[in-house]
Amino acid sequence: MLRVSASRCYTLAMSKENKEAVEKTIIVEHLVKNFEVTERKPGLAGSISSLFSPQKKIIRALKSISFSINKGELVGFIGPNGAGKTTTLKVLSGLLFPTAGFIQVMGFDPWTRRPEFLKQISLIMGQKNQLWWDLPAIETLELNRAIYEIPQNIYKESFDELVELLEVKKFLNTPVRKLSLGQRMRLELVAALLHHPKVLFLDEPTIGLDVVAQQKVRDFIFEYNRKHSATIMLTSHNMDDLIDLAKRVIVIDKGQILFDGNLKELVVQFAKEKIIKVYLSKEADIKKLDEIGKIKRFDFPQAILAVPREATAVAAAELLQNFPVADLTIEEEPIEEIIRRVFRGEVIKKKNG
Amino acid sequence: MGKYLQVFKISFQQEFVYRLNFIMWRVRNVLQIFIVFFLWDTVFSAQGRQLFGYDRDKILTYVFGLIFIKAFVLSSRVQDVAGDIARGEIINYLLKPVNYFKYWLTRDISSKALNLVFAVGEFSLLYLILRPPFYFQNNPFLIILFLISIILAIFTYYILLFIVNAIPFWAPEMGWGGHFLVTVIMVEFLSGALFPLDILPASLQNVLNFTPFPYLIFFPLQVYLGKITGFLLFKGIFISTIWIFILWFFMNWIWKKGFKVYQAYGR
Repeated sequence: MLRVSASRCYTLAMSKENKEAVEKTIIVEHLVKNFEVTERKPGLAGSISSLFSPQKKIIRALKSISFSINKGELVGFIGPNGAGKTTTLKVLSGLLFPTAGFIQVMGFDPWTRRPEFLKQISLIMGQKNQLWWDLPAIETLELNRAIYEIPQNIYKESFDELVELLEVKKFLNTPVRKLSLGQRMRLELVAALLHHPKVLFLDEPTIGLDVVAQQKVRDFIFEYNRKHSATIMLTSHNMDDLIDLAKRVIVIDKGQILFDGNLKELVVQFAKEKIIKVYLSKEADIKKLDEIGKIKRFDFPQAILAVPREATAVAAAELLQNFPVADLTIEEEPIEEIIRRVFRGEVIKKKNG
Repeated sequence: MGKYLQVFKISFQQEFVYRLNFIMWRVRNVLQIFIVFFLWDTVFSAQGRQLFGYDRDKILTYVFGLIFIKAFVLSSRVQDVAGDIARGEIINYLLKPVNYFKYWLTRDISSKALNLVFAVGEFSLLYLILRPPFYFQNNPFLIILFLISIILAIFTYYILLFIVNAIPFWAPEMGWGGHFLVTVIMVEFLSGALFPLDILPASLQNVLNFTPFPYLIFFPLQVYLGKITGFLLFKGIFISTIWIFILWFFMNWIWKKGFKVYQAYGR
């Protein structure tokens, strides 16, 4: 009796371990990607001289990055231009060959581009399009049905679903070149998702879209992630994309990961300042207020001050003592501010080493 | 197989998008035929004149044969591959479970199918206008060999273009130059698209016969006209088959290298 339950315990532990291994959809360990580029001097003479003695230069796009993503996670990938975001997505989708390191996506080596792998992923780049420019989008969709070998009934189902969710029914039969960017982007999403990819790489999906179109795309991504428990990696320069969609973010700059964790955690770790809002009952001297902290806005009776995190308590106490304060609140630096700093490439140092 | 049927359909539709371009291109073809026709018609205007082993009937058949062979062999979509690579649009196909070589072969065939339809129309029209004395081959054996040599020519040209169009993997700005070199200089001159190659000096012909170019146009037409028979015919088919193998291996090698460069650099 005892022996039986012991062995059952053992198998239970095993299956749990297996499950964990399977659920890591993306594994990246010490990924390095170098590009060798030929530098060209300006002008005709420069072109000729670089033809004979090319100046090779190595660009280290990714310097040993590691992370893993579980099944069904939606991860935001942020960093300034040229940080290595797109390079990472291209390596993960098999377009680029890694210089060094270990990568696995759903158990496949992406760069071997096995059909079984390609049928389960999709890479959508806001700057590139796959729809046939001169033909109505429905033609490209039909082509993708054939290429991905989607059975008719499943195609019908996912076609109907996507067309309804993205509200593109009336654009299906218009030549793509006559559509607006927002309409086209939504159709691009239909084309890229017909085969129900389990892993989705989105590179700037809302770039160039107006606010309404952005919201539509965002709602859709959220819905797709929830409904199909698809694993999604998203890069964006649009803060709303990240705040709305991603619980977890990876911050990358100059080919290195600076932060990997909860979006809220990012604030706690990287916010250098806290925001104190005070409501004054009487007029007060701005100059004196300025001695306590940086005034971000003063609009009587409200004053907004930014103070270094470690000095928050002292500043609050001073305010209460020396000013006619009616109300006072202490808030975290808004997340937008921090992400904006990330985009500007301001080096954000981890506070705890 | 269904994949490529769909590729065929969508390519066929694409061909119709720029109707005016297409029609102008066909008009150019017809004008070319006119020029070559009148040139040779004048040369052979005297009764019973023979030059380089051609009489009036045969040279005019040669010229008319060009309409068909060009529609079959030289109408190719593969010239777009270079731009695909240079603009980075090739990633759309690298991301999908589709064979890039077969994908373009299908597009090529759909383009050829359309061109063939038009070639038949042009042929009938020109035939009615010019009323040329046309040489009809009635030896079924030669007709079969003629068709075989056409198929070999299609493959040779396709592979040749696929090689040239890989240049942008290394030099994105040079795609068009390579294409120009191959199609205009080599193919137009060395394949017999402008004049029958046997008016060239024999020594030059001997050298040419070991290159793949005469087998694109000149050779199939000679087979049709019954000017190449017996040993020479089989030698020609043999040489062009060998060339297909050589070019095929070279193409695979160069595309493998190209993909590697592409996967290393990206674009």
